[in-house]
Amino acid sequence: MEKATSKGRRPVYLNLFKIRLPIAGVVSLAHRGSGVLMFLAMPFIVYLLDLSVQSGESFEQAVSILQHPVLVVVQILFIWALAHHLFAGIRFLLIDADIGIEKKPASMAAWLVMLLTASVVIVALIGMLL
Amino acid sequence: MSLYILEGLKPWVVQRVSAVYITLFLFYSFYCSINIDVVSYEHWRDWLFHPFNSITFGLFVVAVLFHAWVGMRDVILDYIHNIMLRMFFLAMIVGVLVGCGLWVIRILLFSMVG
Repeated sequence: MEKATSKGRRPVYLNLFKIRLPIAGVVSLAHRGSGVLMFLAMPFIVYLLDLSVQSGESFEQAVSILQHPVLVVVQILFIWALAHHLFAGIRFLLIDADIGIEKKPASMAAWLVMLLTASVVIVALIGMLL
Repeated sequence: MSLYILEGLKPWVVQRVSAVYITLFLFYSFYCSINIDVVSYEHWRDWLFHPFNSITFGLFVVAVLFHAWVGMRDVILDYIHNIMLRMFFLAMIVGVLVGCGLWVIRILLFSMVG
């Protein structure tokens, strides 16, 4: 049912290594990836929320879980995902409002998203290491 | 605009309205955390169970669940074409989201008194 005849005859060339994605495309793809990542993290975050409000001991337990080396890396990844999703999302909302749709402002805004996200991750890294 | 067009637009609107609310709440909670050095259990509870914060947080969770539903649904519809697999993944996503939502309701209602 899925394989319509016209679909089957269409020439398809999708070598992902030969597609040069513009920066706006990278931001868009990462917006998707970061969203899926945060969805996967959701049950674990609710679990931590539960621990954090139950009692003083379970609060400490949640803190010590977050201090585990593996979870420090996961947290950095999560902070990246949140920051990127937020900044890229604001950019997409502005695009919906017809702001920054010309080629040049659009790619400059995409670079700004990358820059802001990188600074948030760096600040978070410094905060966690100190 | 006919109702039919509005119907197709619904997920798109839900995605954007929830996005705006999520953004506002994130900036608000970030603003609340600026002057805090170390978060203690008491401080954290006081903040979360303050009437204004628990209600805006509850709305935030609702917004996140709807936002995640539209986003994950779009991802599945884009990449999974087999109808059975599609239904399987969509059902899993609904399960995770509803489960998380009920869990948060339980946390907000039962931990408030404890």
